Amino acid sequence: MIFINIKVIEEYGPIILSGLNKTAILTVGGFGMGFAFGSILAFTQCFGGRISSRVATAIEESLRSIPLLVLMLLIFFGLPEVGLSLTPVQSAILAIGLRSMAYQSQILRSAILAIPRGQIEAALSLGMTKAQLFTTVIAPQALRIAIPGLVNQFTIDLKDTSIAYAIGVSELFTEAVHVAQVALDYLTPLVFVGAIYFVITFAASSIMSRVYKRIAIPGLGASQ
Amino acid sequence: MSGEILRVDNLWKSYSETPVLRGVSFEVLRGEVKVIMGPSGSGKSTLLRCINLLVRPDKGRISLEGKEVFPKPYDSIHRIRQKIGFVFQSYNLFLHMTVLDNVRVGLIKVKKLSKEEATKRAMEALRIVGIGPELWNKYPAQLSGGQQQRVAIARAIAMEPTIMLMDEPTSALDPELVGEVLNVIRDLAKQKMTMLIVTHELDFALEVADEIMVLDGGKIVERGKPSEILNNPKHPRTRRFIERLRRRVEHGHR
Repeated sequence: MIFINIKVIEEYGPIILSGLNKTAILTVGGFGMGFAFGSILAFTQCFGGRISSRVATAIEESLRSIPLLVLMLLIFFGLPEVGLSLTPVQSAILAIGLRSMAYQSQILRSAILAIPRGQIEAALSLGMTKAQLFTTVIAPQALRIAIPGLVNQFTIDLKDTSIAYAIGVSELFTEAVHVAQVALDYLTPLVFVGAIYFVITFAASSIMSRVYKRIAIPGLGASQ
Repeated sequence: MSGEILRVDNLWKSYSETPVLRGVSFEVLRGEVKVIMGPSGSGKSTLLRCINLLVRPDKGRISLEGKEVFPKPYDSIHRIRQKIGFVFQSYNLFLHMTVLDNVRVGLIKVKKLSKEEATKRAMEALRIVGIGPELWNKYPAQLSGGQQQRVAIARAIAMEPTIMLMDEPTSALDPELVGEVLNVIRDLAKQKMTMLIVTHELDFALEVADEIMVLDGGKIVERGKPSEILNNPKHPRTRRFIERLRRRVEHGHR
Protein backbone atom coordinates (compact mmCIF):
# COMPACT_ATOMS: atom_id res chain seq x y z
CA MET A 1 0.00 0.00 0.00
CA ILE A 2 1.30 3.41 -0.91
CA PHE A 3 0.61 5.20 2.32
CA ILE A 4 2.25 2.62 4.56
CA ASN A 5 5.97 2.49 4.88
CA ILE A 6 6.89 -1.01 5.98
CA LYS A 7 10.35 0.13 6.98
CA VAL A 8 8.86 2.51 9.57
CA ILE A 9 6.86 -0.35 11.07
CA GLU A 10 9.89 -2.60 11.11
CA GLU A 11 11.99 0.00 12.81
CA TYR A 12 9.51 1.62 15.18
CA GLY A 13 6.78 -1.02 15.54
CA PRO A 14 8.21 -2.37 18.83
CA ILE A 15 8.32 1.13 20.28
CA ILE A 16 4.68 1.72 19.44
CA LEU A 17 3.75 -1.69 20.84
CA SER A 18 5.50 -0.84 24.10
CA GLY A 19 2.55 1.50 24.70
CA LEU A 20 0.21 -1.48 24.84
CA ASN A 21 1.12 -1.98 28.46
CA LYS A 22 -0.25 1.41 29.53
CA THR A 23 -3.23 1.08 27.22
CA ALA A 24 -4.10 -2.19 28.95
CA ILE A 25 -3.69 -0.67 32.40
CA LEU A 26 -5.93 2.30 31.52
CA THR A 27 -8.56 0.09 29.91
CA VAL A 28 -8.75 -2.52 32.63
CA GLY A 29 -8.40 0.02 35.41
CA GLY A 30 -10.96 2.40 33.96
CA PHE A 31 -13.47 -0.25 32.98
CA GLY A 32 -13.01 -2.11 36.26
CA MET A 33 -13.51 1.03 38.28
CA GLY A 34 -16.50 1.89 36.12
CA PHE A 35 -18.03 -1.51 36.75
CA ALA A 36 -17.47 -1.48 40.50
CA PHE A 37 -18.91 1.99 41.04
CA GLY A 38 -21.40 1.72 38.20
CA SER A 39 -22.97 -1.31 39.90
CA ILE A 40 -23.31 0.61 43.14
CA LEU A 41 -24.80 3.57 41.30
CA ALA A 42 -27.27 1.37 39.43
CA PHE A 43 -28.28 -0.46 42.58
CA THR A 44 -28.80 2.86 44.37
CA GLN A 45 -30.92 4.17 41.52
CA CYS A 46 -33.10 1.06 41.51
CA PHE A 47 -33.38 0.27 45.20
CA GLY A 48 -32.17 3.31 47.08
CA GLY A 49 -34.33 5.84 48.83
CA ARG A 50 -35.62 8.87 47.01
CA ILE A 51 -32.76 11.15 47.94
CA SER A 52 -29.93 8.70 47.37
CA SER A 53 -31.30 7.64 44.00
CA ARG A 54 -31.59 11.27 42.94
CA VAL A 55 -28.02 11.92 43.97
CA ALA A 56 -26.93 8.86 41.99
CA THR A 57 -28.82 10.08 38.93
CA ALA A 58 -27.30 13.55 39.25
CA ILE A 59 -23.78 12.08 39.41
CA GLU A 60 -24.48 9.91 36.40
CA GLU A 61 -25.93 12.69 34.28
CA SER A 62 -23.26 15.25 35.04
CA LEU A 63 -20.48 12.80 34.21
CA ARG A 64 -22.16 11.87 30.96
CA SER A 65 -22.36 15.51 29.94
CA ILE A 66 -18.65 16.32 30.19
CA PRO A 67 -16.34 15.38 27.31
CA LEU A 68 -13.76 12.85 28.42
CA LEU A 69 -10.91 15.12 27.37
CA VAL A 70 -12.23 17.95 29.53
CA LEU A 71 -12.80 15.59 32.45
CA MET A 72 -9.28 14.22 32.20
CA LEU A 73 -7.68 17.65 32.02
CA LEU A 74 -9.81 18.84 34.92
CA ILE A 75 -8.65 15.92 37.04
CA PHE A 76 -5.03 16.23 36.04
CA PHE A 77 -4.75 20.01 36.39
CA GLY A 78 -7.60 20.70 38.78
CA LEU A 79 -7.13 18.19 41.58
CA PRO A 80 -3.65 19.48 42.53
CA GLU A 81 -5.37 22.81 43.28
CA VAL A 82 -7.29 21.07 46.06
CA GLY A 83 -4.19 19.28 47.25
CA LEU A 84 -4.60 15.99 45.44
CA SER A 85 -1.89 15.36 42.90
CA LEU A 86 -2.34 12.32 40.72
CA THR A 87 0.13 10.93 38.22
CA PRO A 88 -0.90 11.09 34.57
CA VAL A 89 -1.74 7.37 34.63
CA GLN A 90 -3.84 7.73 37.77
CA SER A 91 -5.62 10.77 36.35
CA ALA A 92 -6.38 8.95 33.12
CA ILE A 93 -7.74 5.88 34.94
CA LEU A 94 -9.89 8.08 37.15
CA ALA A 95 -11.30 10.02 34.20
CA ILE A 96 -11.99 6.94 32.10
CA GLY A 97 -13.34 5.16 35.16
CA LEU A 98 -15.75 7.96 36.09
CA ARG A 99 -17.09 8.27 32.59
CA SER A 100 -17.36 4.49 32.27
CA MET A 101 -19.15 4.37 35.63
CA ALA A 102 -21.80 6.76 34.37
CA TYR A 103 -22.47 4.70 31.26
CA GLN A 104 -22.20 1.31 32.95
CA SER A 105 -24.66 2.37 35.61
CA GLN A 106 -27.14 3.09 32.84
CA ILE A 107 -26.52 -0.26 31.20
CA LEU A 108 -26.85 -2.12 34.51
CA ARG A 109 -29.87 -0.14 35.59
CA SER A 110 -31.82 -0.98 32.47
CA ALA A 111 -30.75 -4.64 32.87
CA ILE A 112 -32.04 -4.69 36.45
CA LEU A 113 -35.29 -3.07 35.35
CA ALA A 114 -35.66 -5.69 32.60
CA ILE A 115 -36.06 -8.43 35.21
CA PRO A 116 -39.78 -9.02 35.65
CA ARG A 117 -41.01 -7.49 38.90
CA GLY A 118 -42.85 -10.72 39.69
CA GLN A 119 -39.60 -12.58 40.24
CA ILE A 120 -38.66 -10.11 42.93
CA GLU A 121 -42.00 -10.70 44.63
CA ALA A 122 -41.48 -14.45 44.32
CA ALA A 123 -38.03 -14.26 45.89
CA LEU A 124 -39.30 -12.14 48.77
CA SER A 125 -42.23 -14.52 49.25
CA LEU A 126 -39.80 -17.39 49.73
CA GLY A 127 -38.36 -15.40 52.61
CA MET A 128 -35.22 -14.10 50.92
CA THR A 129 -33.56 -11.05 52.39
CA LYS A 130 -32.74 -8.13 50.09
CA ALA A 131 -29.13 -9.31 49.91
CA GLN A 132 -30.15 -12.84 48.95
CA LEU A 133 -32.60 -11.45 46.42
CA PHE A 134 -29.80 -9.44 44.86
CA THR A 135 -27.16 -12.16 44.70
CA THR A 136 -29.35 -15.09 43.68
CA VAL A 137 -32.03 -13.52 41.51
CA ILE A 138 -31.13 -10.04 40.30
CA ALA A 139 -27.38 -10.09 39.70
CA PRO A 140 -27.17 -13.33 37.69
CA GLN A 141 -29.93 -12.22 35.35
CA ALA A 142 -29.00 -8.55 35.12
CA LEU A 143 -25.40 -9.43 34.23
CA ARG A 144 -26.49 -11.73 31.45
CA ILE A 145 -28.80 -9.10 30.06
CA ALA A 146 -26.11 -6.42 30.41
CA ILE A 147 -23.25 -8.27 28.71
CA PRO A 148 -23.64 -6.81 25.20
CA GLY A 149 -23.85 -3.29 26.59
CA LEU A 150 -20.89 -3.84 28.89
CA VAL A 151 -18.75 -5.26 26.08
CA ASN A 152 -19.61 -2.24 24.00
CA GLN A 153 -18.58 0.05 26.85
CA PHE A 154 -15.34 -1.91 27.27
CA THR A 155 -14.38 -1.29 23.66
CA ILE A 156 -15.27 2.39 24.01
CA ASP A 157 -13.07 2.64 27.11
CA LEU A 158 -10.28 0.86 25.26
CA LYS A 159 -10.34 3.28 22.35
CA ASP A 160 -10.71 6.30 24.60
CA THR A 161 -7.49 5.50 26.43
CA SER A 162 -5.92 7.33 23.48
CA ILE A 163 -7.23 10.57 24.98
CA ALA A 164 -4.64 10.13 27.74
CA TYR A 165 -2.24 11.42 25.07
CA ALA A 166 -3.34 14.87 26.17
CA ILE A 167 -1.76 14.45 29.60
CA GLY A 168 1.30 12.63 28.38
CA VAL A 169 0.60 9.02 29.29
CA SER A 170 2.84 6.85 27.15
CA GLU A 171 0.11 4.57 25.87
CA LEU A 172 -0.31 3.17 22.39
CA PHE A 173 -1.47 6.32 20.66
CA THR A 174 1.06 8.58 22.37
CA GLU A 175 3.87 6.26 21.31
CA ALA A 176 2.56 6.31 17.76
CA VAL A 177 2.55 10.10 17.68
CA HIS A 178 6.08 10.21 19.07
CA VAL A 179 7.25 7.78 16.44
CA ALA A 180 5.52 9.85 13.80
CA GLN A 181 7.41 12.92 14.89
CA VAL A 182 10.72 11.11 14.84
CA ALA A 183 10.16 9.19 11.62
CA LEU A 184 8.55 12.19 9.92
CA ASP A 185 5.76 9.90 8.77
CA TYR A 186 2.34 10.33 10.30
CA LEU A 187 0.33 7.93 8.24
CA THR A 188 2.19 4.72 8.89
CA PRO A 189 2.17 4.86 12.72
CA LEU A 190 -1.47 5.99 12.75
CA VAL A 191 -2.62 3.22 10.44
CA PHE A 192 -0.58 0.82 12.54
CA VAL A 193 -2.17 1.83 15.88
CA GLY A 194 -5.58 1.99 14.24
CA ALA A 195 -5.11 -1.61 13.19
CA ILE A 196 -4.03 -2.60 16.70
CA TYR A 197 -7.12 -0.99 18.25
CA PHE A 198 -9.23 -2.75 15.68
CA VAL A 199 -7.68 -6.15 16.38
CA ILE A 200 -8.07 -5.85 20.15
CA THR A 201 -11.63 -4.57 19.89
CA PHE A 202 -12.57 -7.27 17.43
CA ALA A 203 -10.98 -9.98 19.56
CA ALA A 204 -12.65 -8.74 22.74
CA SER A 205 -16.04 -8.61 21.05
CA SER A 206 -15.80 -12.08 19.58
CA ILE A 207 -14.54 -13.62 22.81
CA MET A 208 -17.37 -11.99 24.70
CA SER A 209 -19.98 -13.01 22.19
CA ARG A 210 -18.82 -16.59 22.70
CA VAL A 211 -19.03 -16.25 26.45
CA TYR A 212 -22.44 -14.67 25.95
CA LYS A 213 -23.65 -17.67 23.99
CA ARG A 214 -22.16 -20.12 26.43
CA ILE A 215 -23.93 -18.67 29.44
CA ALA A 216 -27.13 -18.04 27.50
CA ILE A 217 -30.29 -19.41 29.04
CA PRO A 218 -33.48 -20.04 27.09
CA GLY A 219 -35.99 -17.28 27.63
CA LEU A 220 -33.52 -14.87 29.16
CA GLY A 221 -32.29 -11.89 27.13
CA ALA A 222 -29.03 -13.67 26.34
CA SER A 223 -30.54 -16.41 24.20
CA GLN A 224 -31.09 -14.51 20.96
CA MET B 1 -54.70 -30.59 64.73
CA SER B 2 -57.22 -27.86 64.42
CA GLY B 3 -56.99 -24.19 65.20
CA GLU B 4 -56.70 -20.85 63.62
CA ILE B 5 -53.94 -20.41 61.08
CA LEU B 6 -54.69 -16.97 59.72
CA ARG B 7 -56.72 -14.13 61.12
CA VAL B 8 -57.24 -10.83 59.35
CA ASP B 9 -58.96 -8.07 61.30
CA ASN B 10 -60.36 -4.88 59.84
CA LEU B 11 -57.67 -4.51 57.20
CA TRP B 12 -57.40 -1.22 55.33
CA LYS B 13 -55.17 -0.23 52.44
CA SER B 14 -55.18 2.74 50.09
CA TYR B 15 -52.98 3.51 47.14
CA SER B 16 -52.45 7.28 47.03
CA GLU B 17 -55.87 8.18 48.43
CA THR B 18 -57.71 5.44 46.51
CA PRO B 19 -59.01 2.92 49.02
CA VAL B 20 -58.45 -0.66 47.90
CA LEU B 21 -59.24 -2.58 51.07
CA ARG B 22 -61.89 -1.18 53.38
CA GLY B 23 -62.05 -3.12 56.59
CA VAL B 24 -61.62 -6.75 55.56
CA SER B 25 -61.90 -9.38 58.29
CA PHE B 26 -61.86 -13.16 58.09
CA GLU B 27 -60.04 -16.19 59.41
CA VAL B 28 -58.70 -19.44 57.97
CA LEU B 29 -58.58 -22.56 60.12
CA ARG B 30 -56.06 -25.34 59.83
CA GLY B 31 -56.77 -27.56 56.83
CA GLU B 32 -59.37 -25.21 55.42
CA VAL B 33 -59.58 -24.02 51.84
CA LYS B 34 -61.09 -20.59 51.42
CA VAL B 35 -61.78 -19.06 48.06
CA ILE B 36 -61.93 -15.35 47.35
CA MET B 37 -63.85 -14.16 44.33
CA GLY B 38 -64.59 -10.70 43.08
CA PRO B 39 -64.45 -8.46 40.04
CA SER B 40 -61.13 -7.05 38.94
CA GLY B 41 -60.10 -4.09 41.04
CA SER B 42 -61.95 -5.41 44.06
CA GLY B 43 -58.72 -5.72 46.06
CA LYS B 44 -58.13 -9.49 45.90
CA SER B 45 -54.46 -9.35 44.93
CA THR B 46 -53.78 -6.53 47.36
CA LEU B 47 -55.37 -8.54 50.14
CA LEU B 48 -53.12 -11.56 49.50
CA ARG B 49 -50.06 -9.34 49.22
CA CYS B 50 -50.89 -7.65 52.50
CA ILE B 51 -50.99 -11.01 54.24
CA ASN B 52 -47.37 -11.85 53.39
CA LEU B 53 -46.37 -8.19 53.72
CA LEU B 54 -45.37 -7.67 50.11
CA VAL B 55 -47.73 -4.74 50.49
CA ARG B 56 -47.85 -2.90 53.78
CA PRO B 57 -51.40 -2.43 55.05
CA ASP B 58 -52.44 0.96 56.42
CA LYS B 59 -54.50 -0.29 59.32
CA GLY B 60 -55.79 -3.47 60.86
CA ARG B 61 -54.32 -6.60 62.28
CA ILE B 62 -52.97 -9.83 60.80
CA SER B 63 -51.92 -12.85 62.78
CA LEU B 64 -50.50 -16.20 61.78
CA GLU B 65 -50.99 -19.18 64.11
CA GLY B 66 -52.05 -16.76 66.81
CA LYS B 67 -48.91 -14.63 66.53
CA GLU B 68 -49.08 -11.07 65.34
CA VAL B 69 -47.67 -10.39 61.88
CA PHE B 70 -48.99 -6.87 61.46
CA PRO B 71 -48.71 -4.19 62.79
CA LYS B 72 -46.06 -5.62 65.16
CA PRO B 73 -44.39 -8.64 63.53
CA TYR B 74 -43.36 -11.25 66.09
CA ASP B 75 -40.29 -12.05 64.01
CA SER B 76 -38.37 -10.62 61.04
CA ILE B 77 -40.52 -10.24 57.94
CA HIS B 78 -38.46 -12.66 55.87
CA ARG B 79 -38.77 -15.36 58.52
CA ILE B 80 -42.52 -14.88 58.63
CA ARG B 81 -42.75 -15.07 54.84
CA GLN B 82 -41.09 -18.50 54.89
CA LYS B 83 -44.26 -19.81 56.49
CA ILE B 84 -46.53 -18.38 53.83
CA GLY B 85 -46.41 -20.01 50.41
CA PHE B 86 -47.38 -17.73 47.54
CA VAL B 87 -48.43 -18.79 44.06
CA PHE B 88 -48.72 -16.03 41.48
CA GLN B 89 -50.94 -15.63 38.47
CA SER B 90 -47.92 -15.30 36.19
CA TYR B 91 -45.89 -18.10 37.88
CA ASN B 92 -42.86 -15.82 38.42
CA LEU B 93 -40.30 -18.59 38.16
CA PHE B 94 -36.65 -17.55 38.20
CA LEU B 95 -35.84 -17.61 34.50
CA HIS B 96 -32.10 -18.22 34.94
CA MET B 97 -32.58 -21.34 37.03
CA THR B 98 -33.52 -24.86 36.07
CA VAL B 99 -36.74 -26.38 37.34
CA LEU B 100 -34.88 -28.15 40.13
CA ASP B 101 -32.97 -25.03 41.14
CA ASN B 102 -36.16 -23.00 41.23
CA VAL B 103 -37.62 -25.40 43.76
CA ARG B 104 -34.54 -25.86 45.92
CA VAL B 105 -33.12 -22.32 45.95
CA GLY B 106 -35.37 -21.30 48.84
CA LEU B 107 -34.44 -24.42 50.79
CA ILE B 108 -30.73 -23.81 50.32
CA LYS B 109 -30.54 -20.02 50.62
CA VAL B 110 -33.37 -19.32 53.01
CA LYS B 111 -33.81 -22.49 55.03
CA LYS B 112 -30.06 -23.22 54.89
CA LEU B 113 -30.56 -26.91 54.19
CA SER B 114 -27.66 -28.91 52.80
CA LYS B 115 -27.68 -29.31 49.04
CA GLU B 116 -28.50 -33.03 49.31
CA GLU B 117 -31.36 -32.51 51.72
CA ALA B 118 -32.72 -29.62 49.63
CA THR B 119 -32.50 -31.66 46.45
CA LYS B 120 -34.33 -34.55 48.08
CA ARG B 121 -37.13 -32.30 49.26
CA ALA B 122 -37.33 -30.47 45.96
CA MET B 123 -37.66 -33.75 44.06
CA GLU B 124 -40.41 -34.81 46.41
CA ALA B 125 -42.29 -31.55 45.86
CA LEU B 126 -41.88 -31.88 42.11
CA ARG B 127 -43.29 -35.40 42.22
CA ILE B 128 -46.29 -34.15 44.15
CA VAL B 129 -47.12 -31.69 41.38
CA GLY B 130 -46.41 -34.28 38.69
CA ILE B 131 -43.28 -32.79 37.18
CA GLY B 132 -41.11 -35.73 36.15
CA PRO B 133 -37.30 -35.98 36.15
CA GLU B 134 -37.16 -35.37 32.40
CA LEU B 135 -38.08 -31.75 33.12
CA TRP B 136 -35.86 -31.10 36.13
CA ASN B 137 -32.99 -29.68 34.13
CA LYS B 138 -35.10 -27.58 31.80
CA TYR B 139 -35.46 -23.83 32.09
CA PRO B 140 -38.86 -22.19 32.69
CA ALA B 141 -39.05 -20.84 29.13
CA GLN B 142 -38.91 -24.43 27.85
CA LEU B 143 -42.04 -25.43 29.76
CA SER B 144 -45.74 -24.91 29.09
CA GLY B 145 -47.65 -22.49 31.28
CA GLY B 146 -49.29 -25.35 33.15
CA GLN B 147 -45.93 -26.95 33.85
CA GLN B 148 -44.47 -23.64 34.97
CA GLN B 149 -47.33 -23.06 37.38
CA ARG B 150 -46.94 -26.57 38.79
CA VAL B 151 -43.23 -25.90 39.35
CA ALA B 152 -44.19 -22.66 41.08
CA ILE B 153 -46.52 -24.62 43.35
CA ALA B 154 -43.73 -27.10 44.06
CA ARG B 155 -41.41 -24.21 44.90
CA ALA B 156 -43.92 -22.98 47.45
CA ILE B 157 -44.82 -26.33 49.05
CA ALA B 158 -41.17 -27.40 49.31
CA MET B 159 -40.80 -24.70 51.96
CA GLU B 160 -43.47 -26.49 54.00
CA PRO B 161 -45.58 -23.39 54.60
CA THR B 162 -48.32 -23.26 57.19
CA ILE B 163 -50.62 -21.66 54.62
CA MET B 164 -50.63 -21.26 50.86
CA LEU B 165 -51.86 -18.10 49.20
CA MET B 166 -52.77 -18.42 45.53
CA ASP B 167 -53.49 -15.40 43.38
CA GLU B 168 -55.55 -16.53 40.38
CA PRO B 169 -53.28 -19.52 39.74
CA THR B 170 -55.00 -20.50 36.49
CA SER B 171 -56.00 -17.14 35.01
CA ALA B 172 -52.92 -16.79 32.82
CA LEU B 173 -53.19 -20.31 31.41
CA ASP B 174 -54.54 -21.51 28.10
CA PRO B 175 -57.89 -23.24 28.71
CA GLU B 176 -56.51 -26.70 27.99
CA LEU B 177 -53.84 -26.29 30.68
CA VAL B 178 -56.12 -25.16 33.49
CA GLY B 179 -57.14 -28.70 34.45
CA GLU B 180 -53.67 -29.98 35.29
CA VAL B 181 -53.03 -27.10 37.67
CA LEU B 182 -56.44 -27.39 39.33
CA ASN B 183 -55.82 -31.11 39.83
CA VAL B 184 -52.64 -30.37 41.73
CA ILE B 185 -54.43 -27.87 43.95
CA ARG B 186 -57.24 -30.37 44.47
CA ASP B 187 -54.67 -32.93 45.66
CA LEU B 188 -53.21 -30.40 48.07
CA ALA B 189 -56.70 -29.75 49.43
CA LYS B 190 -57.21 -33.49 49.94
CA GLN B 191 -54.00 -33.57 51.94
CA LYS B 192 -55.45 -30.85 54.14
CA MET B 193 -53.12 -28.08 53.06
CA THR B 194 -54.44 -24.80 54.42
CA MET B 195 -55.11 -22.52 51.47
CA LEU B 196 -56.48 -19.13 50.59
CA ILE B 197 -57.18 -19.04 46.87
CA VAL B 198 -58.32 -16.26 44.60
CA THR B 199 -60.00 -17.96 41.67
CA HIS B 200 -62.91 -17.64 39.31
CA GLU B 201 -63.14 -21.35 38.54
CA LEU B 202 -66.69 -21.94 39.75
CA ASP B 203 -66.78 -25.75 39.61
CA PHE B 204 -63.43 -25.97 41.26
CA ALA B 205 -64.48 -23.62 44.05
CA LEU B 206 -67.70 -25.54 44.57
CA GLU B 207 -65.69 -28.72 44.95
CA VAL B 208 -62.76 -27.73 47.16
CA ALA B 209 -63.75 -24.61 49.06
CA ASP B 210 -64.96 -24.72 52.63
CA GLU B 211 -66.10 -21.15 52.23
CA ILE B 212 -66.29 -18.57 49.48
CA MET B 213 -65.81 -14.89 50.22
CA VAL B 214 -66.91 -12.35 47.66
CA LEU B 215 -64.86 -9.20 47.65
CA ASP B 216 -66.21 -6.06 46.03
CA GLY B 217 -64.99 -2.50 46.38
CA GLY B 218 -62.50 -3.54 49.05
CA LYS B 219 -65.10 -5.19 51.29
CA ILE B 220 -66.33 -8.71 51.78
CA VAL B 221 -69.91 -8.33 50.58
CA GLU B 222 -70.94 -11.93 51.03
CA ARG B 223 -69.47 -15.12 52.43
CA GLY B 224 -70.71 -18.61 52.98
CA LYS B 225 -70.80 -22.20 51.78
CA PRO B 226 -69.88 -22.53 48.10
CA SER B 227 -73.24 -24.03 47.19
CA GLU B 228 -75.09 -21.11 48.77
CA ILE B 229 -72.93 -18.44 47.21
CA LEU B 230 -72.86 -19.96 43.76
CA ASN B 231 -76.44 -21.18 43.55
CA ASN B 232 -78.28 -18.71 45.68
CA PRO B 233 -76.30 -15.50 46.05
CA LYS B 234 -78.02 -12.95 48.27
CA HIS B 235 -76.16 -9.77 47.47
CA PRO B 236 -77.17 -8.30 44.08
CA ARG B 237 -73.55 -7.58 43.20
CA THR B 238 -72.61 -11.17 43.90
CA ARG B 239 -75.49 -12.36 41.77
CA ARG B 240 -74.42 -10.22 38.82
CA PHE B 241 -70.82 -11.26 39.21
CA ILE B 242 -71.58 -14.99 39.37
CA GLU B 243 -73.90 -14.70 36.37
CA ARG B 244 -71.15 -13.03 34.40
CA LEU B 245 -68.72 -15.80 35.27
CA ARG B 246 -71.29 -18.45 34.26
CA ARG B 247 -71.81 -16.81 30.91
CA ARG B 248 -68.09 -16.72 30.29
CA VAL B 249 -67.82 -20.45 30.95
CA GLU B 250 -70.77 -21.23 28.70
CA HIS B 251 -69.25 -19.25 25.88
CA GLY B 252 -65.99 -21.01 26.35
CA HIS B 253 -64.06 -17.90 27.34
CA ARG B 254 -62.10 -17.91 30.50
